[in-house]
Amino acid sequence: MEHDVLIVGAGPSGAITAKRLAEEGLRVLVLEQGDWPDYSKATVHREDFPLTAGRDWGWDPNLRQAPGDYPIDDADSDITALMWNGVGGGTVVYAAQWQRNMPSDFRVKTLDGIADDWPLTYEDLEPYYVRVERDFGISGLANDTAFPPGEGPPLPPVPLGPAGRRVAKAHNDLGWHWWPAPNAIATREYGRLHACQQVGTCLQACAYGAKGTADLTHWPRALELGVELRTRARVSELIVRPDGLVAGARYVDADGNEHEARAGVTVLAANGVGTPRLLLLSGDSPDGLANSSGMVGKRLMMHPFGTVVGVFDEDFRAWQGPWGQFIHSLEFYETDESRGFVRGAKWGLQPTGGPFSMTSAYPWGAENEIWGPGFQDAVRGRLGHSTMWGIIAEDLPEESNRVVLDRVNRDADGVPGAKIEYRLSENSRRLVEFHQARAKESLLAAGARDVVVAPFIRSTGWHLLGTTVMGTDPATSVVDAQGRCHDVPNLFVFDGSVWPTSAGMNPTATIAALALRFAEQLIESRREQKVAA
Amino acid sequence: MALTDAQRAQLGALADQLIPAGGGMPSASEAGVAGRYLDEVLTSLPDLKAPLETALAAVDGLEPEAALAVLRDDPAAWGVLTAVVPAGYFMNPAIREAIGYPGLERRPIDATAAPDYLADGLLDSVVARGPVYRPTPTD
Repeated sequence: MEHDVLIVGAGPSGAITAKRLAEEGLRVLVLEQGDWPDYSKATVHREDFPLTAGRDWGWDPNLRQAPGDYPIDDADSDITALMWNGVGGGTVVYAAQWQRNMPSDFRVKTLDGIADDWPLTYEDLEPYYVRVERDFGISGLANDTAFPPGEGPPLPPVPLGPAGRRVAKAHNDLGWHWWPAPNAIATREYGRLHACQQVGTCLQACAYGAKGTADLTHWPRALELGVELRTRARVSELIVRPDGLVAGARYVDADGNEHEARAGVTVLAANGVGTPRLLLLSGDSPDGLANSSGMVGKRLMMHPFGTVVGVFDEDFRAWQGPWGQFIHSLEFYETDESRGFVRGAKWGLQPTGGPFSMTSAYPWGAENEIWGPGFQDAVRGRLGHSTMWGIIAEDLPEESNRVVLDRVNRDADGVPGAKIEYRLSENSRRLVEFHQARAKESLLAAGARDVVVAPFIRSTGWHLLGTTVMGTDPATSVVDAQGRCHDVPNLFVFDGSVWPTSAGMNPTATIAALALRFAEQLIESRREQKVAA
Repeated sequence: MALTDAQRAQLGALADQLIPAGGGMPSASEAGVAGRYLDEVLTSLPDLKAPLETALAAVDGLEPEAALAVLRDDPAAWGVLTAVVPAGYFMNPAIREAIGYPGLERRPIDATAAPDYLADGLLDSVVARGPVYRPTPTD
């Protein structure tokens, strides 16, 4: 057999795993349905970039319809699923807000009596956080009081900026937590990363190579180590042997030719929609592969999202900056049942963008429509004078929120697409309303002359979690604490699909730390590992 | 390929409803939103042309105010109109200057500078308050 390990997906978890396994001399093949990002389209200094960015760096696969995308029917979902199908995965277009989970996030059942504990603790994951923060060139300040003390990221934090300083002072007056924010943004030259120029286009693409994205931080080294990466290789199903082991995957190349890729061990790293889709597409059972628990695709969590904008007299020149986040606050992150809900949310303070963004329906809302007489003064009032809290709300796992196959809508190669069914719970609604109200207080305390609570919109499903839940009981979980499928001993899931609960954080830090831990466990147990010979 | 003069006149009238002259600045049509800057917008995003023409055709013959009311109820048409008009307006360098927007500038970070929040004690009260997290429960 040519390869020891096959990895499906070249995003952060696939890249981390491939690089680490190759360092140990394993022969690794990675299949990625998309392409390398084309940074020649990161034309951030052109006046038309706000227009072309939506087309060239858009998050919604249904709108983008790039060759590596597949259709996702979201008609029965309150939130649409967003992703980047290509080398680097979601890191290519993420805001680079690099948040560890807090200790309580791994003990939700024990502490709050709801949902599930993770089969590992913060302390188990902490050394891997430290390592991936070095690998991704994270900037920030150690000993944030919202986390256990310990080693922090390798680079100094981004500047607070005038907006960050003003809101930080307000939080001091209120007695509320804030901290210089952790970001996957290089604040100086670091490895293959260049220093941030604060042009504020992180959410589209970084034109300066300053954002810690897996295509820059991991793939060049992985390829040097001999990892074989095949792009435009769309997996249609896993190959299941009569003895129940997985022998690899069938895939279709850019020209529509079908191939088989065989390996001793297969790792799925295709995100919280793509991974369950592949399992549901595979095997002889109508329930798909590795699904004796019936949990494949269920417990989809996507983080309801809120935005609250403050408009100030002071000119922050905040049409740009690290975006990213200046500061974060975890004041209301932990559960307080007197609020009428459990769990919480993380806030990140951000710029608001250029003139075009000042006219948009989001975040400004219909009641603040800018059109008509007074347009120019309204633009001047907002532009550079505004800053906003982005609120990442924890959603609880519910089996009715799920990913299923869509046999009607298929991708370009005829493989069934995905359908997501997701409804906001009452807990989520109350949680978001509470946090919006507190964020409004924060900005008013900072001296905002106007505060806008953004309308709820659907297109915020950046975080795709929970659909192959990790646990110790094969009756109620899909993978074990090593990421190994209970039903298939040589099939693993190393992406965000394994999260038992969603936390209220941007998830990439924990996805990355978990992937590295899983990779180390696979290396440690390689002598005993069953393989498809 | 470009829009006709009649279509441009129609777009200009609609655009001036959205962005009339004010604040010492010209209206949308005066700033070239239906002329030169429309061409620039459609060069950048050619896919906007067809939906823009569809939107204009849907309200052909209506007075601007009535046309706007119709378009507002059509999310696709409203979306293309409220993309094309401000995009063209802000592509005009004179408009950008008038609102004080220089475009995106490189603002390198001085990583050698001492952080201000350490120098002036901004973070002190946060640190003094101590931990705000629930630790991992011990069995």
